Amino acid sequence: MASVTFEHVTKKFENVIAVKDLTLHIPDGEFLVLVGPSGCGKTTTLRLLAGLEEVTHGRIYIGDRDVTDIPPKDRNVAMVFQSYALYPHMNVYDNIAFGLRMRKVPKLEIERRVLEAARMLEIEHILYRRPRELSGGQRQRVAVARAIVRDPAVFLFDEPLSNLDAKLRVQTRAELIKLHQRLGTTFVYVTHDQVEAMTMGTRIAVMKDGVLQQVDTPQNIYERPDNLFVAGFIGSPPMNFFEARLMPEGESLWVDTGAFRVPVPPDRVPIYRSYVGRRVIFGLRPEHIYDPDFSPPLNHPAEVQARVDVKELMGSEIHLHLVADRQTFVARVDPRTRASVGKTIRLLFDMDHMHLFDAETERAIR
Amino acid sequence: MTVFNRPWATPLLTQWALTRRRLGIWIRLSLLGFSTFVVLFPFIWVLAASLKPPMELNRPSLWGFTPTATNWVEVWLRSPFARYFLNSIVVGVLTVTVSLLVGAPAAYAFSRFRTGGTWLRFLILAAQMLPPALFIIPFFLMAYYTGLLDTVWALAMAHLTFIAPLVTWFLIGFFEDVPRDLEEQAMVDGCTRWQAFLHVVLPATRPGLGAAGLFAFIMSWNEMFYALMLAGGHSKTLPVAIAGYWTFRGVELGKMSVAILSAAIPVLVASFFVQRFLIRGLGGGAIKG
Repeated sequence: MASVTFEHVTKKFENVIAVKDLTLHIPDGEFLVLVGPSGCGKTTTLRLLAGLEEVTHGRIYIGDRDVTDIPPKDRNVAMVFQSYALYPHMNVYDNIAFGLRMRKVPKLEIERRVLEAARMLEIEHILYRRPRELSGGQRQRVAVARAIVRDPAVFLFDEPLSNLDAKLRVQTRAELIKLHQRLGTTFVYVTHDQVEAMTMGTRIAVMKDGVLQQVDTPQNIYERPDNLFVAGFIGSPPMNFFEARLMPEGESLWVDTGAFRVPVPPDRVPIYRSYVGRRVIFGLRPEHIYDPDFSPPLNHPAEVQARVDVKELMGSEIHLHLVADRQTFVARVDPRTRASVGKTIRLLFDMDHMHLFDAETERAIR
Repeated sequence: MTVFNRPWATPLLTQWALTRRRLGIWIRLSLLGFSTFVVLFPFIWVLAASLKPPMELNRPSLWGFTPTATNWVEVWLRSPFARYFLNSIVVGVLTVTVSLLVGAPAAYAFSRFRTGGTWLRFLILAAQMLPPALFIIPFFLMAYYTGLLDTVWALAMAHLTFIAPLVTWFLIGFFEDVPRDLEEQAMVDGCTRWQAFLHVVLPATRPGLGAAGLFAFIMSWNEMFYALMLAGGHSKTLPVAIAGYWTFRGVELGKMSVAILSAAIPVLVASFFVQRFLIRGLGGGAIKG
């Protein structure tokens, strides 16, 4: 078990900068999820930590040990690849035992640990099969068993669930969370799926274009995104954005998008006052827009009218795609809503959950 | 739905379909049989010739003779043919061993590290692109000065000049089929790159290595030009030995047939054992799954 520290780490591939000045501390025992769109540098970050790529600048520490120039085999990390990378010419037992054999662990000890890992992942009955004879889910379990059998300081996961079907993915997700609780080891987990990030991570690190955007708990990332990118990336359907201006009216402030005007809650007025008259971006999540008939009591509701463009029934909720004077947005409303396509309806914005971003820097205004 | 629209048509159609399928099978079988016969005919002819008494050899009939083992006894027991056979095996095994030892790491380097770009890949084939006659005098002189003339060593070295590059090329594709994840996994699991190559990449390319090895063996086994020039005497190999039955008194067809069959059989046997790998290897997708 160990913490992980990146200190001003930069990785360049010829003339592309994959990771730019990354500084990140992962405390011992944390489940950190690296998330971002493809090409954002999350996998490169993981590979740098594993030692499969060389750092261009900066240092990486596992615990107190500087591992920047140490080869992968001596870093005491275990990795689960997206493809699982099971050795095709070995059976499951040998796949799991391989890492221990390379480390010259005594034979009896290997057997004990392989069986223990197999029991933990419920793959005892397939120990003598070849990878090609296994299903996707079984291969995934073997890959995880091969990682835990080594008892490493840090576990690295590179999108381990993306080759599984939806149902199995949800199940395996829960199993990995349980595994983390049971082992208590540091997990670094790469995914492009924000649902995985939200559900699994102790903390989430959002990356874009090689730059770390924000690191925080899932709750904080969701409620207090640092910038426009994080706000738009986390949450499904994504947050609605409206280009707007802040208009003063006596003591109060109004967000004016051109299509509608909504009041800023009084407690936020002092924070936003310096942005009066400037271009801002107003953000509100679809789940904070309500059908007035089914709205919970809101402290600072704001009424907006919009025409229903598309209505998507999701079962437990309905997604309304709405148009208000060329501005389009999405609302997640109660399935009992009487809104129908083509009609103009009333909606309530929960202004306590509003977000405001500087249109130029795209940073959250706080 | 056709059944309901045209009930009268169904039984007729089924019967016709059945007949057509039987006919198809017969046509296919006879085509296969014919092609097999075409391919095997020379061997059958050679087998017959090897069993004919010398007097019968020039008669056109294929079967009308009393079989005799004279030719087989003459060739295998009363001539140094067995030694030539052994020479061929030694040269073949030497060539296969060295070309795999050199070719596998080279091919791995080409596929993983793009060593020397495309330019170097082609350069190693340069020797292939020139006529062998160009090399024979330098080879001959080198063998002469090193005292290796008329030894299996000289011949194996000459064979390696064109077989090792071909084996390398053959193997590049197999290594490219091995996902990088595999060796990276091995490296995280505790291997150096070299160990990852030995323990994971090489075993994963076994079909390719088998196919390349057989391919190298056959090329060396059948090679005649260098064999004639560098190892014409004591260390003679089979192609030269077979040609040796073409004497100034005429072609000794009976003995030559024995030699030809003896030379063809090891290759057939080897192919039989490696065919599993060959098919899997040449068919691709040996690793993916």
